[in-house]
Parts: sequence; structure tokens; C-alpha cells
Amino acid sequence: MDISSIAFANSLILGLSIAGIFFVAALGLTIIYGTAGVINMAHGEFIMLGAYTVYALQTFMGVPYFLCIPVAFVVVGAIGFAIEKSLIRYLYNRPLDTLLATWGVSLVLIQGTRLIFGSDPKYVQIPQFLSSNIEVGGLSLGVFRVFIIFMALVLAAGVWLIFYKTDFGIKIRAVTQNREIAASFGINSGQVYSFTFALGAGLAGVAGALFGALNIVLPTMGMGYVVEAFLTVVTGGGALLGSAIASLAIGELQSFFALITNSTFAKFLIFVLIVVFLRFRPQGLISASGKRR
Amino acid sequence: MIGGFFKVVNIEKSFGGNKVINGFSLDVAENTLQCLVGPNGAGKTTMIDLISGRQKPDAGKVYLNGDDITGKGEHEISRKGIGRKFQIPAVLKGLSVRENLEVAYSREVNALRNMFSMRAKGCAEKLDEISQQVRLTKRLEVEAGLLSHGETQWLEIGMVLMQDPAILLLDEPVAGMTENEIGLTVDILNKLKRTHTIILVEHDMGFVRKIADVVTVLHMGALLAQGNIEEIEKDDRVRAVYLGTEDAH
Amino acid sequence: MTHNAYHNKTLQWLFYIAVLAVLGAVPLISNDAFLLNQLAIYGVYGMLAVSISLCWGSGGILNMGQGIAFGLGAYCMAMTMQMQTQADGTIPPFMLNNGLDSLPLLWQPFQNTSTGIFLALFVPTVFYLIFGGIMFTARVSGPFFAIMTLATLSAFATIFVDLQPYTNGVNGISPPSSLKLGQTEIDPYSSGAYWFVFALLAACTVAAKLINQSRFGLIVRALKDDPERVRFLGYNVAIYETLVYTLSGLIAAIAGSCFAVLTQYVSPAQFEVGFSISIVIWVALGGRNSLIWAMFGAFTVQGAQSYVGDQFLSTWILILGFSFILVVRFLPGGLAGLVETLLGRTTKLKMEAEHANLEFSDGKEVLK
Repeated sequence: MDISSIAFANSLILGLSIAGIFFVAALGLTIIYGTAGVINMAHGEFIMLGAYTVYALQTFMGVPYFLCIPVAFVVVGAIGFAIEKSLIRYLYNRPLDTLLATWGVSLVLIQGTRLIFGSDPKYVQIPQFLSSNIEVGGLSLGVFRVFIIFMALVLAAGVWLIFYKTDFGIKIRAVTQNREIAASFGINSGQVYSFTFALGAGLAGVAGALFGALNIVLPTMGMGYVVEAFLTVVTGGGALLGSAIASLAIGELQSFFALITNSTFAKFLIFVLIVVFLRFRPQGLISASGKRR
Repeated sequence: MIGGFFKVVNIEKSFGGNKVINGFSLDVAENTLQCLVGPNGAGKTTMIDLISGRQKPDAGKVYLNGDDITGKGEHEISRKGIGRKFQIPAVLKGLSVRENLEVAYSREVNALRNMFSMRAKGCAEKLDEISQQVRLTKRLEVEAGLLSHGETQWLEIGMVLMQDPAILLLDEPVAGMTENEIGLTVDILNKLKRTHTIILVEHDMGFVRKIADVVTVLHMGALLAQGNIEEIEKDDRVRAVYLGTEDAH
Repeated sequence: MTHNAYHNKTLQWLFYIAVLAVLGAVPLISNDAFLLNQLAIYGVYGMLAVSISLCWGSGGILNMGQGIAFGLGAYCMAMTMQMQTQADGTIPPFMLNNGLDSLPLLWQPFQNTSTGIFLALFVPTVFYLIFGGIMFTARVSGPFFAIMTLATLSAFATIFVDLQPYTNGVNGISPPSSLKLGQTEIDPYSSGAYWFVFALLAACTVAAKLINQSRFGLIVRALKDDPERVRFLGYNVAIYETLVYTLSGLIAAIAGSCFAVLTQYVSPAQFEVGFSISIVIWVALGGRNSLIWAMFGAFTVQGAQSYVGDQFLSTWILILGFSFILVVRFLPGGLAGLVETLLGRTTKLKMEAEHANLEFSDGKEVLK
């Protein structure tokens, strides 16, 4: 096998890009799963809603792209908040049922979007300078992909700040460790869960705002992200750092395998590796601290 | 070949740096009732966990009738003849009382053979006998989750009796029971210990007095004192550990 | 649970026999070949529903990847059927298009019909045995196991698309003629095909019901409730879980084989996540704890879906999603649970009435 060093370096950088995408996709899920142990099968649809929000803002209100991103965060976050309050909170002691109910939500969101926007593909416009490629030496990468990596770092920093530098973050961490004791300290764990779920949904919305520009926007676009986001979260163990490392590992491995075989077989190999890894270390790379509900 | 019926030799167990069991040994003769007592946190339930296979000891050995059962899986140890009753009663809440007792009749555990069998041989007779003993004959069709606390304790005792192991490990079997119910349990246990070996964890010294052949006091994960109930009650070290307060009945 | 007619075993069996008799009588009523083929395909869905009810309702094992066994069974059968049409020494046309000039090793056993049919059942069953065995001995928990089945299903979908020279990728395999068993050709648009599938559906349902009623079934229901308790009674829980999961896989493999026979077309769509989860939805709506109601769930949902047609498909799936959420949240026993409650109330009322009758007859016991 003759892999030139240029091709190898390219695959490393592409791997970083894939890692960035995985991380951003999995971030919202990490928070929800890490805090409340909720397996949200509608996560892909939150991503999809983020993309549609940007599309709608651009098409009907002419909002510039960079402004669309925080709006997508708020809109999808609000939707997540509503779903938590009306459904998820009743199923915390029944993890299998949460899985199933959120799949039902996923169906409702996909079909609802289809009825409102139609099944035809939509497109998100990005500013001109993001559409080009960067060329350094023999290596090339789309600027937008670099932007995604940049956003991955920004979002990671933002979430870290929320968790470790704010009052709300302390509450989240307390509730994650031990819900009953946190409640006995006067923390309204119900509210914490609602806002945490909303935060996770909002981050998925941001992911959608980014991915909508990467690919076409369809009601079913979320389905392509949910399994991989889950595998990233579960491999990572449910902690922020875990997801970061898992994303990096999966991204680079997938890119490297794609160099040797092809991208489809690379995905297959990754699946197999993850299943084997999880069989021997079901708690993931870094066990999320504390007792889950 | 290690002699004696049931032997625990120098068991050690730590949880995350905390030494919970510190070189504990136990020798239990056949067909006796041995009570394991000690203040909270002494390690009694952990010892039961280690014997029954729920936890694996860091060091030491457990022998049942010469057989080394240290660190084996729960179902293997149960097959070898150890039956356990949990501190918080563990019954199959979604099944009826009758079904609970039927499941507990675990003479045949082979899955394939059980697939082709509708009824276990001898189960119906044993069920009649045991359901009478634990006073649940009128509650057989009730869903186990709907039973009162005392009835749930009875059901679990009944299940262990259906299992009919050589050794019964009972973790606080009378917790939450009324005076009457405790009296009935004393009768059952006193009859049972003639044919079975029983290791029982308890707090209630009054109850212990009525049933124990041997009392073993556990403190800080090690043996503090062992003897019959009179010897233990007179033992100064035991009194010191319990801070002079004997559990009033 | 006391004296509820729903739990009366004799009544249950009579109900099952009645339903199966009605299903079996369909070709006597209708001659429409196309309809018979459609209904036979529903029979396949019924088998899938029974398989999920077995491992989920009885065993508490949520399996979101039943498509693995279904798809593997379907592909093996399609490969067998394809090789039946190949004259000695020739290979399927799609392979020639993909640059192959001789039959790959993977395909060779399928040249023999008996071997092919055997593999259609054997391969998925063995896979489930190994996969389940690995997961359950590691005590992988419920939701975790469910995600693993999903991930593995996705892996299968990916690999079957990728191995284009061997599987014809996204295009799938379409054997040009129907299955031949010895001298008989099973025309998918005939009552013969319908009865072929129906017989298998009936056999699987009866077998599953007998298993549920056996000691094995009792222990499986017990471990659904509290696996630790069952372990401490001496049962090797992992073996029971693996067996019930494997049996459900065997039924799904039979369903997949029938699917290939009926539709003469197999593709990676059989490995779609959406399809595997929709089986769970049918069973949740019908009633996961009842084989026959799970089957009804499959018939009703799939029937309604084809009735609704393409125009209102989105609205239909929207309603389905909502119904699913409501059932999961409020009615975990599905329709069967509702029937059970209603029958329980009527039985209780009947008993109270009988009791009242006794009272009125001078306090003496008139009814024994």
C-alpha cells in the first residue's frame, strides 16, 4: 500500500474535520445523557430543526447567516424545553420507555417538518468567504470545515464555562451526582433537568445550523447523525472530555480507514471497533461522575 | 481437603481504598443457626455479598462442604446450595405469589429442558406446604407488588424455602414485622435449623436470643467475639462497641 | 390477576385457534392473486411482531435491530433463489457488471437449494446467539443493549451497500423466478404461497405461545422483573436471555425468507433502522405482552398505512408517532392491556353479582 505523506497528512486534517462534526453533533446529546441519563432518539431531529430554522430565517426574513446560529440555538432550545416539560420528565425512571417515546417524537418532528416545508431539498446560504478552500502546501480543506472545527472549540469552551463557572453549572453537576441530596439542598432538580435538556437541544440546533450548510436540508437529515452521535457519547462515557476524545479518535480512525479502503467500509470498521470496545468497557472512556438516575 | 461444613477463611475486601472487610474468618457447623451481628457499617451485608457471589473478595477463601466457591458467579453459588434473602425484600413484583414460589423451585435450571416442561415435578406439593408455612395460601393469585411489607418478607422467606438450599443467608428477615409475625418467624427458623444451616444478619438482640446457636460479632470488618448468646451479652468488648446500649426489644 | 378471563389459558388458546382459523380461511374467500400476495406479506409482518413480543414482552429485551435476522434470512433466500435460475457454471449478471468472473466463495453454498434454505435460518440464528451471548454475559443493560442492536443494524446496512460485487449494493438482488422446492414452484401470487407463509406464521405463534407457557417462559418473565433475584435462585440468566433473543431471531429469519419468496426482491432497505423500529411500534400499540395482539398491531398499522396511500402518508406517520408516544406514556400494555383491564372489570362485576346472589338465598350456598 502506497500512501504518500501528503495523502496521509490530508487524511489527518480531514479526520480533524470529521472529529469536529462528530463532536458538535454529539455535544447536546452528551449533556442530556451525561446529566439525566436520557437517551434522546430525537436528537437528530433537533439538529434538523436547527437547519430548518436557519433556512426559514434566511429565506423569509433575510437574516444573515452568523445571526441565524444563535437564533437556532434559542428556537430549538425552546422546543426541547417544551418536550421535556410535556413528556420526558414523566419517563425518567423508565429508560427504555424514554428511548421509545423520543423515537415517537422524532417521527412527529420529521413528518411535521415535511408537512410544513415539504420534502424537497432546501439550502442554507453561507457567506462567500466560508465557501472557499484553504490550500497550504499540498494540503487542502474547505474553509467551512475549518469553521466547524473552530465552532467545536468555541462550543466546548462555552459548555465548560457554563458547567464549571456558573451557578447553573454547579446545580447541574450537583443534580448529576445525586438528585436527592441536591434537592435537599434546595436545588429544584426538575427545573435543572428542563433547562439542561433545553441546553442540549439548543446545541443540537447549532449543530444543525452548521450541518445544514454542509449538506442539503431535508426532513430526514437528522437520521444520519443520531446513531453516530450516540456511539460518540457512549464511547466517551457521557462526560464532556470523553466525547471530545471519542470524537477525535473516531474522526481520525474513520479518515485513516477511508484512506486505506473506502469511506463506506471505514464506517463499518468503526462500528465494529466501537461495539467491541463497548463490550469490554461499557462505561466508556471516561466514566461520567456520580450516580445517574 | 478443607474440613467443616461452611468455612470462610481470612476474607478481605476494599472499596476504593476503604477496607471494609479486614481478615474475617468464620466456621459454621451443619444444621446450626449462626447470627451475624454488629453495629451499622460493620460489614455484615458486605460479608453476605461476598459469600453469595454478589461481590468478589480481594483475598481469602470460602468453602462449602469442602468445595471452594470463592469468587464464583451468583447462580453457581446458589446452585451449590446457598440461598439468600435480601435486606430489602426482593420478590418478582409483576408476577403472582404463586408464580414467585414456582420460579423459586429451582431444581431444574437447564434452560432447554425447561423449555419443554410445563410443570416442575414436585413443585405443586412443595408449594402447598410452603404457602401454608408462610401464611400466604389465601394470597396466591395476588400480584406480588401489591403485598404488604410483612407479606413481602414472608414471600421472600417462602421463596428461599422453595429453593431449599443447604445454607440459608438471611439479611434482617424480620425487619418491619409485627410481634406476631416475628413470633411465627422464630417458630419457622427453630424448626428449620434442625435440617438446614442458617446464617442470619440481625440487629434485634431479642430476636437473636430466641433463635441463635452461635453469635458472631463483626466490628470494622473483623471478628470481635464469637460464642453463644449468654457469652456474647457478657462480653465487655461487645458492650463497649455497642456503647453499652443493648438493643432493647 | 385474580380470575380475570383474559388470563384463562383455555380461553386464550381458543382465541388463538379461532384467529388462526380465520386467517387460514382467507384464500377460500378470495381469489384475488394480488390481494393474497399482499396479505401473505402481512403474515410476514405478523411473524416479526410475534418475534419482538417474545423477546420484548416476555423477556423485557428491547431489540431495535430485528432487521438483522430479517435481512440476513431474506438475503440468503434471495441468493438461493437467484442460484436456482443460474444455469450450471453461470454467475448472476450483476456480478459480471461488477467485474467478477467466477462465483465468490460466499455464494457457493447457495447453489444447493437445501443448503441455501438451511443457511437462511442458520446464519441469522447463529449471529444472534453469538451477539446475544456476548452482550448478556457482560450484563449489558436494557437501553444500552437496544443501542447496540441499532448500531449493529446500521453496520449491516452499511456493509451490504458496500459489498457491491457480492450483494449488488443499493440495487439489491431480484431473482427472476419464484422459489422451486423440488418439483413445486411457489408462485408468490397464489393461495399456495399464502398457505405456505400462513403455516409458518401459525407454527411460530403456537411454538412461541408454548414457550411462554413453559417453565422457561416463567423464568424469562421472572428475569424481566428482577434478574438479580433470579440469579440468586440458581438460574444462569445470561443463557435464558440469549436463548429468548436467539429464538426471536429465528422467527425473524423465517419471516425474512418468506419475504424473499413473496416479493422476489431483497435490498439493504431490509436493514433500515426505521423498519426495525416500526416493528417495535406495531408491538407496542398492539400489546407487547401478547403474541396475538402484537400480530394485530402489525396488521392494523401496516394495513392502515397502505390504505392511507402515498398522499396522506406524512399525516399518517405523524398520527402514528403521536399514538406511539401516548401508548408509551400512558398505556404500556397497548391494546391488549386495555382489553385485559376491561375483561378484568367485567369478571369482577360478574363475581360480585354471583356473590350477591349467594347472599340473597337465605345465606345458604346455592351456587357451588
